[in-house]
Amino acid sequence: MALDFQYDELMFSKSTVKNSYAGDVVYGYEFEIMYPSYRGTFLSCIEKLTVKLDGVEIDQKKMRFTLNGKQFLISELPTLCHEYWFVLDRAVITVLQDGGIPAGAKQIDVEMVHRIPYTGYFGEYLTLTSHGTLQVDNHVTEAIK
Amino acid sequence: MKKMNDKIELGVSLYSLTSEFVTEKMGLEDCLRAVAEMGFKGIEIVAAQTVPEYPNPSDKWLFEFRDLLAKYDLKPVCYSAYIDNGLRPDRDLNHDEIVQFTYNDMLYAKKAGFSMIRTQHSISPQILEEMVPACEKLDIMLTIEMHHPHHPRVEVWEKYIELMNKYEHLGVVPDFSIFQRKPHRLLVERLVRAGFREDKLNSVLEYHEKGIPCENAIGELSLNAEEAQFTRDLYEKFNPTPLDDLKTLIPITPYIHGKFYILDNGEFDPCIPYDKILPMIQDLGYKGYIAAEYEGHHFDMSVDARQQLRYYASIFNKYIN
Repeated sequence: MALDFQYDELMFSKSTVKNSYAGDVVYGYEFEIMYPSYRGTFLSCIEKLTVKLDGVEIDQKKMRFTLNGKQFLISELPTLCHEYWFVLDRAVITVLQDGGIPAGAKQIDVEMVHRIPYTGYFGEYLTLTSHGTLQVDNHVTEAIK
Repeated sequence: MKKMNDKIELGVSLYSLTSEFVTEKMGLEDCLRAVAEMGFKGIEIVAAQTVPEYPNPSDKWLFEFRDLLAKYDLKPVCYSAYIDNGLRPDRDLNHDEIVQFTYNDMLYAKKAGFSMIRTQHSISPQILEEMVPACEKLDIMLTIEMHHPHHPRVEVWEKYIELMNKYEHLGVVPDFSIFQRKPHRLLVERLVRAGFREDKLNSVLEYHEKGIPCENAIGELSLNAEEAQFTRDLYEKFNPTPLDDLKTLIPITPYIHGKFYILDNGEFDPCIPYDKILPMIQDLGYKGYIAAEYEGHHFDMSVDARQQLRYYASIFNKYIN
């Protein structure tokens, strides 16, 4: 377990959950995350990104990742060597779910496994597992349609 | 000697203000204004933190940054670059990519008015030497940080030291984490939060302080498996290189990272022996900047970094000038 790199609290700073609309259709919900570190990274350094809603893991094919004005599939992240995630920028994770965030939903958990690309003092890259938790209650706001 | 200045002067790495910057309590200009008001003169940026367009800052960003430094009468001292060797999942960066990225960083540094870039140990001795003509053309110092757990007897460093003695534009940036002798308070608190029983941990720290071997501590203190592993890590980590290594390093040192993790006053750092280090580098004839580099934010983001910087400046002033 890494004892330094304790920046996980940044992941969900100032986040809210919004429903996502296409016309009148509510096709999912979305929330913002920040990269939990003192410096930015490349999306290719994200080795795994999972989201749980009230303990139930979301299918990776039902998630989208948006940064720098571009939207990506989760499976595309390892190929994005030139997509830089600045430490003050928020990425949007969209979860495809008809009807949006379910009534009574309480908690969103994000787990991100990420490689620290400059490490490797004696050969191995440091890979961190960061966790963030967002309480949904009172955080749902409506997106612009 | 690599004299970058006519005396020892106090600088700061903006990395010290990480908590304030990444939580948006302070913007870039707020950080510069704050350190200028505290009396710091020289500035280092960690480009991968400060530059939104990293790894390729635009001319517009670089010139605006240069002008901001001038506005607060701050000197651009060091542009800290990374070798993000593990950028791709399928392979490490290759030789030609590292050469090109390093040259880019030298140009960005020059445009913003810096005369030095700091790169990392993974550059390789071959590439370091290959960069010398570019350093001479641009008059940019190319330095490698020596950070814990490295020290002068690590094999690659023996080669680096040879090159740094040979070429004027190459140098080492010792990070004083190489001299850390015991865990700082924030790490101790972090270990307790991670489940290390406090009374056991205090005993381990006593054993370590007295120089009693690690295996005795593990055997005699009835530690559980996780505590035993933490204890091994502690003994490995807090095994500082001798201060005498400064005699090897200072003649090839144009810049220093004054690393610290947490200070409780402006008098004394219990973890890194500044009371011995600062007089020693003065005696060895060092002339250049020491950048205050507060790193406690890795462990606790609620600490007031500005107070920490004031404490560090006070310790510096106690020994220098």
